[in-house]
Amino acid sequence: MASSEIRITAEPVDQRRCKFLVDRPVYQGVRRFASRAEAPGSPLAEALYAIPGVSEVIVSANLVTVVKDTDDPWQAMGKSVGAAIRQALAGEAPAVVEKAAATSAGRLSDDELYERVNDLFEQQVNPMVARHGGRVELIDVQDAVVLLRMGGGCQGCGMASVTLRQGIEGIVMEHLPEVKGIVDVTDHASGANPYFASAKK
Amino acid sequence: MLPTATYRTTAFVEAARRLGVDLTVASEEPSTFEASRPDALLTLEFSHPTRAADQARAFATRHQVDGVLGVDDDTVIVAAEIARALGLAGNDVAAVEAARDKYRQRVLMQQHGVAIPSFQLHRLDEDLEGIARSVAYPCVVKPLRLSASRGVIRADDPRAFVDAVQRLAAILKQPDAAACADAAASFLVEQYVPGVEVALEGLLTSGALHVLALFDKPDPLQGPFFEETIYATPSMLPAATQRALRDTAAHAARAIGLTRGPVHAELRWNERGPWLIELAARPIGGRCGAALRFQDGATLEEVVIREALGLPLGSLSREDAASGVMMIPVPGAGILREVRGVAEARAVPGVEDVVITAHRGQALVPWPEGSRYPGFIFARGRAPAEVVSALRAAHRRLTFVRDRQTD
Repeated sequence: MASSEIRITAEPVDQRRCKFLVDRPVYQGVRRFASRAEAPGSPLAEALYAIPGVSEVIVSANLVTVVKDTDDPWQAMGKSVGAAIRQALAGEAPAVVEKAAATSAGRLSDDELYERVNDLFEQQVNPMVARHGGRVELIDVQDAVVLLRMGGGCQGCGMASVTLRQGIEGIVMEHLPEVKGIVDVTDHASGANPYFASAKK
Repeated sequence: MLPTATYRTTAFVEAARRLGVDLTVASEEPSTFEASRPDALLTLEFSHPTRAADQARAFATRHQVDGVLGVDDDTVIVAAEIARALGLAGNDVAAVEAARDKYRQRVLMQQHGVAIPSFQLHRLDEDLEGIARSVAYPCVVKPLRLSASRGVIRADDPRAFVDAVQRLAAILKQPDAAACADAAASFLVEQYVPGVEVALEGLLTSGALHVLALFDKPDPLQGPFFEETIYATPSMLPAATQRALRDTAAHAARAIGLTRGPVHAELRWNERGPWLIELAARPIGGRCGAALRFQDGATLEEVVIREALGLPLGSLSREDAASGVMMIPVPGAGILREVRGVAEARAVPGVEDVVITAHRGQALVPWPEGSRYPGFIFARGRAPAEVVSALRAAHRRLTFVRDRQTD
């Protein structure tokens, strides 16, 4: 694979978080690297954590979400991230390896949390968002962080962040206080039928 | 209060999270989660501010409310009504209502001696030919309440004037504009003021204006329509000119009666000095707030929320870097099918982000009938000229593929 031909599109979410959409699969599944300590063994995470300021990496299919703890503009850091992704994909080894099974002592394991979050989504969350033609897909739970993707009317909706933070996150935290956070890995820019379209100042 | 059509939802929601503020989002349409999250989500009748205040009063009997914030021209009026009803800090309702109405704000500014273009109020059903004969040219025809320069048209002679008013009348018959009721039955005729135009982003505290940023607009806005393009800050105008512009904006805010919260003003400068063109009691529109970042790393939305809650404001000094935003011009009428070149635009040195807000299948409507930019480009650099070059270079890389509208 010629790494120079890999096309990557950056979608900054805010000052801290940026999504990098790669034109080919990076990892069949979802994996979150909450810290540098989790990177060894996965060339992509190792390369990304070598960039100063990177504090979290989430890989989902062809989407790489990078979180940083510096004020450096994404425009500057994005080039390093792009180079790291290309470097990892050019290698012989898989860019991301599956996470070793977590050992839980006295708290819910990610697998247990996944089941409970999934039940919550099916029983409470999705029936509600379906009223606006939306759906929420549970992608994974890693280190007690829920990774989800919004679809249908939620994808690209002007109120998606309200639905996520004021609705879904509140419900999840209320029922499952063990959950440490929720990450939306949706490519909202591709939403073609948003329930609410942004239109005014 | 976040209207469902605002571009600013994510910026305000994330700003509240960063500040650790317990947030209740009120919108004019119900959220699907409102019943299960009644402390976090609320529906208010934005179109009836006093009714919205009653609804908020009922909400406040069950939940603690420490501050209220509107983010656009309509919701700042609702916010003022709610603040009055709940005894919270806020602007005077009459002041924000005046700021919302282009005629009323001009009357107040004229009474207080603010430098503004001469203006006249007319009804759409008056004798347009007669008005056309009495108007000084060039002039600008404006609706009373629409935003983003929608319906604003320059006329250089009587024939163009009549055409402009008829075109505005058609815009004011569109359902969203017609909802403005009486305001949709009248229009302003204003003297056209030549000169450079700037946008001032400010924050009022106890009646004092803090200038958060003064944006130059390098593309001349000479009409006949007034679609915005590039904002770049810091301004390259001489310091004395900037002071005069700031003083004019502060004078205008006082004249209208605004004492607190964000203000966004459009001003012009020519050989006769500063001119106040518009002033709104809200932050900068669209996604443009992302062009501002302060010395302590705060965003504009964080500053605005802090002010609404009476929290320490932190630094109100902008970052050292030059910054700019381009409101991407509507490329022409049609249905958007695809946007090409986004990755290439993002790769332009200095460009920090390219945000396409139009979705596939959306109708693109040029000015003056339209008011929705298809997206925004952001850039930072060492100097404003560098930022402007980056914005233009990025824009050149974008292609909007669209179908002609047949309906």
